[in-house]
Amino acid sequence: MSAPTTRLGTVPAPTRPRAGRRRRERTLLTLRLVLALAVSVVLLFPLYWMVVVSLSSRAELLGGDLRFWPRDLTLENFRRVLDSFPVLTWFGNSVAIAVVVALLTVAVNLLAGYAFAQLRFRGSGVLFLLALSTLMLPVQVIMVSLFRLVTGLGLYGSYWAVILPTAASAFGVFLARQFLIAIPRELVEAARIDGAGHLAVFLRIVLPLSKPLIAVLFFMSLLQTWNDFAWPLIALKDNALFTLPIGLLYLQGQFGSDYGGTMAFALLTVAPMVVLFLGFQRYFVQGFARSGIR
Amino acid sequence: MSLTRRGFLGATAAAAPVALAGCAGFRTGGAATDEGADGALTFTTWGTDSELAGFRSAIDQFLAANPGSQVQLNAVPYEQMFTNIDAQIQAGNPPDVFRVPYYTFGGYAGRQQLLDLTPHLEAGFADRFTETAWSAVQNDGKPFGVPHHTDTSAILYNKDVLDAAGITAVPTEVEQAWTWDQFGEVAATLRKSLDRDKYPFAYNWQGNGVTRWLSLLFQADGRFLAEDLRTPAIDSAAGRAALEFSQGFFSDRLVPPSDSVKSTTYAADLWYSQTTAMVFGGAFMVPDADATLDFSWGATFAPRKVRGGGDFGGNALVATAGTPRPELAAKFLAFVTEQEQMRAFCAGASLLPTRRDLAEQGVEFAVRPELSPVFLGQAGVVRAQDAAQVASPSMTGIITVLKDQLEEAFVGGQSVEDTLAGLTEGIASATAGE
Amino acid sequence: MSTPAVRLPRTARRPGRAAEALAGYTFLAPNLVLLGVFVLLPLVGAAVLSLQRTDGFGAGRFVGLDNYARLVGDGLFWRSTLNTALFTAVVTPLSMALGLGIAVLLNSVLPGRAFFRSVLILPMAVSGVATALMGVLVFDENSGVVDKLLRFAGLPAVPWQSGGAAAFVSVVLVTLWWRVGFNMLIYLAGLQGIGPEIYEAGKLDGASGWQAFRHLTVPMVGPSSFFLLIMNVIYSFQVFDIVFVLTGGGPRNATSVLVTYAYDTGFVTRDQGYAAAIGMVLLLVTLAFTALRWRTSRSRDLVG
Repeated sequence: MSAPTTRLGTVPAPTRPRAGRRRRERTLLTLRLVLALAVSVVLLFPLYWMVVVSLSSRAELLGGDLRFWPRDLTLENFRRVLDSFPVLTWFGNSVAIAVVVALLTVAVNLLAGYAFAQLRFRGSGVLFLLALSTLMLPVQVIMVSLFRLVTGLGLYGSYWAVILPTAASAFGVFLARQFLIAIPRELVEAARIDGAGHLAVFLRIVLPLSKPLIAVLFFMSLLQTWNDFAWPLIALKDNALFTLPIGLLYLQGQFGSDYGGTMAFALLTVAPMVVLFLGFQRYFVQGFARSGIR
Repeated sequence: MSLTRRGFLGATAAAAPVALAGCAGFRTGGAATDEGADGALTFTTWGTDSELAGFRSAIDQFLAANPGSQVQLNAVPYEQMFTNIDAQIQAGNPPDVFRVPYYTFGGYAGRQQLLDLTPHLEAGFADRFTETAWSAVQNDGKPFGVPHHTDTSAILYNKDVLDAAGITAVPTEVEQAWTWDQFGEVAATLRKSLDRDKYPFAYNWQGNGVTRWLSLLFQADGRFLAEDLRTPAIDSAAGRAALEFSQGFFSDRLVPPSDSVKSTTYAADLWYSQTTAMVFGGAFMVPDADATLDFSWGATFAPRKVRGGGDFGGNALVATAGTPRPELAAKFLAFVTEQEQMRAFCAGASLLPTRRDLAEQGVEFAVRPELSPVFLGQAGVVRAQDAAQVASPSMTGIITVLKDQLEEAFVGGQSVEDTLAGLTEGIASATAGE
Repeated sequence: MSTPAVRLPRTARRPGRAAEALAGYTFLAPNLVLLGVFVLLPLVGAAVLSLQRTDGFGAGRFVGLDNYARLVGDGLFWRSTLNTALFTAVVTPLSMALGLGIAVLLNSVLPGRAFFRSVLILPMAVSGVATALMGVLVFDENSGVVDKLLRFAGLPAVPWQSGGAAAFVSVVLVTLWWRVGFNMLIYLAGLQGIGPEIYEAGKLDGASGWQAFRHLTVPMVGPSSFFLLIMNVIYSFQVFDIVFVLTGGGPRNATSVLVTYAYDTGFVTRDQGYAAAIGMVLLLVTLAFTALRWRTSRSRDLVG
């Protein structure tokens, strides 16, 4: 993905256009720019508003007038949230759980994706469809029995109660198969003829070629786990082990909702992922572009 | 089999090092030694800051009075409190003691999930509490918890707005509370003086607060369950009156359209943002309102019709049926309802006492103490027969029925007769299904 | 789709077929074990549960197909089904059309493309709960910024919480905000696989911009569209966080969908057998749709 941030895009420059055509092109360009800006404003506004609210005093939020910038900036909401809740602990829990899930997902799905893409064996088509069909299952459908299972396995209340069910996702399998199917089979065959075992082929040939895929899988998984809330809510019990999204619920008090505090907390929850996203988006987009979904 | 880790990190997770939490989270306990080996009592609750502070200080005093015992407080978000409790009950590993609203109490007590306290309580224990409070923790005539505190909704009003509308006198004695007609006049006067997008009041019947609609039913001297606590009794003159009255709130634009029972907007927020001049709300709102609002405000009683009536809000503390430490759990429940402990808790958290002696003497709130009599007076009009109905094991189902039917009646244009029929049918199937 | 895409003509003799099969199963094992234990096993459990009546504590009572019979006469179930279908029918085409439109825009000559792309995929990083909370801030009918703006402009405020249609629209809008970025990303990946020479050829044939889009771009991104259609439908059937936080299914069940209804039934009223039955219906509908889609596009190679 080459996205020049400078004047012109990747479309080959037209050969010496006439003046009229150039004017029309300029009008079109302006039009496109305006459109892109408009879309960006619409998408950014809610995020901006979240920041504004988190920096506003409660009195100002309750005042009825329309303002797009708080009269006096205050960090009071952040201070209150950080004082009243073990945010740092929850942050650590979120990181621990998300990273372990992401690593597990990458490992498990790469192996499975490789098998589906490059190896021939009886039943692979059926198994692939079976894995794929689990994507259709909302977690709410199996929540009750999943809970009983996790309890029966003695995992309830520990990180594993969140990690293992979350890592059991087929989305990565699908993505991995799409990507790895593009690896020329001759490459694999050649290595096999040289006497390399399947595992050696996977480690020496497939893994180095899969970096963009690994990046995408890792991020998708990290993001999903970081933001997950329905299942961890049920699976965790001690507040010392809670993740950030559950903490967000604390702020939905029984009476008047504290918008400033809620948004301050939400911002703390969202910020790390947004930063990561912006930092690594190039790899992310590349990975998607090359994952063969097209 | 259940192999959870219990309270590795003490009562609060505050400032526990991340690494420690990490280790703890990845360990799945494997043996009973993992439990509070010394028989620590686990206590799960939700709470506002001041409530949690109250619980903590009560626990400290309990430990001082009972050397060698341990209590671990686990604070969870209210939103998920009962999903969590249910999950733990199913897992066979519930906390020893938890906090439960009176309308949820019956659901656990009626399903044999709570400890019958009868053998563990000293003689005459029941006399501590008001008749109303004690009736709220009964199931099949036996106590399955202690009424820890109560709360009830009075009216909080924005003084500036009422003054501007010329309403300068509000009732200060519970016997003088506005009648429905007077309340209607006040609301109509406010309606005339307010802008289109402002409203006279908001009613706090959102979510499980739908039980607060029953206050109107009680004021009309009605019941929703007959004496046997199973047969629907809502299809009555009182039921009709309460429905017509509350439907009028919406048709006369006395409450904001988004103030219906299934709304995600809290009534308190509408009042805070000065969208409404008055709001129905409990004493627990007082500290927060005092800290937040920059207009002058006061409190008066909920209206009365045949009699005064209110919701028996607040919470019981209960022990679970399977607790391995029934004696200690019962001891703890008895301790936190001692006079001194209850007084301190109620004063700090702006809640109302359930003890006879304190209900008579009154409790001075730490914040805006001059409002205490209003809420105490309001709590005084709640009758035991009202509280007993709410303790029904089928209450969870009845709450769902109330939500569905009232929503239709208020914003769906459903007629009073159809609503009464729907309520009757729904309540009957809820009590039959349990 | 009975066989995986076979790309090579079968070689006459492939040594080590057994070994290859063994390797295949071994590579699949970790994934299949995880899926089997934490998805399929609970699913069987849910199916069993859907034949029981249980209050969530202790063992349930076997009642056969009773729960399913109850569904037929349950107005709220039908309402939730209708809402789920409507939501899917609105959100899927809209998020795909917007995603494609923006992808085409970003794929053309445009200054600051990288910046715009970053902005567009930013919502993907925000959790569903936080997204819904933002929605609450923006769409509250008493203090939300949208209605403040409308009043400021002298227009009537929209009853986002008290009007059924408006509440439904607010859920759709918030969902679009959240999902368009993903659609755009997939389409952008698809567009970048199309060489410019195709368009050059189109130009020579005298195709207008719209014609080129209609007859060149749309068919070329077909595989992306297929993938997105499946993904969006699956997502729409499972929308939970946003409805749960933003509207709670109200007003008057106007935004109640199957997943929230199942959740309420299972965890609020504790009618867990019935909740499991709702879940089973949801699963069957999703599977039926996907199978249908798959059959009608058997000829299409997903891998493009």
